[in-house]
Amino acid sequence: MLFKMFLRSFFIQAGWNYERFQSLGFAFALQPALEKAWPDREKLKAALLRHLQIFNTQPYMASFVIGNIARMEERAAEAGEDQLKHMPGVKQALASSFASIGDRIFWGRLKPMTVQICLLVWSACGFYGWLFTGMDGAVSFGVLLAGPLAGIAAYSVFSVYIRWKGLKAGYACGGSANCALDAANWPRLIRLLSAAGFAMSLAIALLAFGLLAGFNCGSCRPADLLLKLGLPLAVLALHRVMRALGRSVFFSAGLILAASVLLFSLLGLQPFELYL
Amino acid sequence: MTAVLKAAVSAALAGLLGLDAVQAGQFLLSRPALVGPLLGWLNGCPLEGAKIGILLELLYIDFIPVGGVVPPNGCAAAAAGVLAHSAGGLAPSLAFFAGVAAGVGYAPLEYRLRASRSGLNAFIDAQVSAGDFRLRRWLARAMLVENLALGGYVLAVAGAAALVNLLPGVARLYPGTDFAYSLMPWLGLSGLYFRFRTQIYKKG
Repeated sequence: MLFKMFLRSFFIQAGWNYERFQSLGFAFALQPALEKAWPDREKLKAALLRHLQIFNTQPYMASFVIGNIARMEERAAEAGEDQLKHMPGVKQALASSFASIGDRIFWGRLKPMTVQICLLVWSACGFYGWLFTGMDGAVSFGVLLAGPLAGIAAYSVFSVYIRWKGLKAGYACGGSANCALDAANWPRLIRLLSAAGFAMSLAIALLAFGLLAGFNCGSCRPADLLLKLGLPLAVLALHRVMRALGRSVFFSAGLILAASVLLFSLLGLQPFELYL
Repeated sequence: MTAVLKAAVSAALAGLLGLDAVQAGQFLLSRPALVGPLLGWLNGCPLEGAKIGILLELLYIDFIPVGGVVPPNGCAAAAAGVLAHSAGGLAPSLAFFAGVAAGVGYAPLEYRLRASRSGLNAFIDAQVSAGDFRLRRWLARAMLVENLALGGYVLAVAGAAALVNLLPGVARLYPGTDFAYSLMPWLGLSGLYFRFRTQIYKKG
């Protein structure tokens, strides 16, 4: 039953909508437990309708709530339906808590880290086309795929593990509003991921500027080199300023595109070959 | 395989991979960094596909899908960008910016699809109340609609890119778009750097 729920939890957002968010996916994932707990069709119907009400949390962390509620339903079937009166409160409290934790871990940290892993793998394999867009060296398709797949594999192993662990932990301690919230030292994990992400960001930034200087230092005058290093720094500054002004990255990209088209396409200035 | 058939297969694949973003799995198979080289390989330009994909990834990583927010769609962006180059015939730099716009443009469509699913809740309740507990059909229906919408959208953008490529004077844009394209890695790296720097500064 747990394994069936685990597989179904991968579709928790399939019916996501603005009225009840993940409710359809949640009820679908919980269905095996409900069918086991409530053999009577009328009671099963009531249970399904109960879980078709509004529900939303971080999708990977939803399994903690699914496991918990599955156990609560089982207890209610055994000990009486008055056990169900606390269920909406427990469900809501856990959904909010795990959403906050999951958003920070998965969306805020692990997801950007998959890009960092990709760039580091590509660099280790000698592919720098991600930095020098004009570079057309020979690179195998295997290397091109290895970068993103390395990041995705690392991410998915962890996310699948959390889904399974969450389901088991939630099922083991079902019924409590703080059930499985201590399944891991979340603040420590978040701090570690932030530090690892920052270290990789720093390494990639140093690598990028090192490559830029390395590819250009033998072929241009010091003034040109300064310009070639200064322009990326100007882009970084532009992005920082625009972020501070509450503009998205697309605004900065649009500004760069508009200025470049104006200068080099419409006014006909000669674009200097900055990056190969 | 003709270019049109390749584009159609690529759009269908993009629609399938796009499901991973929200509806099924969420293994990050829909991220531009993977969709780019994959569709590039399918269309005979894996290197350009990888470049377009990773640059889109670096820009799109700025957006976090929390609280029901519909971020720009990275899968649509990468698929449209690669097809704008391979099937539409645009230079990689212009195809990249077409991809950026396509990803942003898909978000309102995605919003409408999500909003339209709210109307199904009453039907689902009625079905369950009538004793029919097959919820899977609604999930499958939602995924099929999303799949078709994304695939169709990507194909339409590729077609639009092919039409733009026929316009006289498009090539005049390339010096400017090429230069802007060469600066995009730095813009993306900046986003990546400041994301983690801010987290460290806020101490988690």
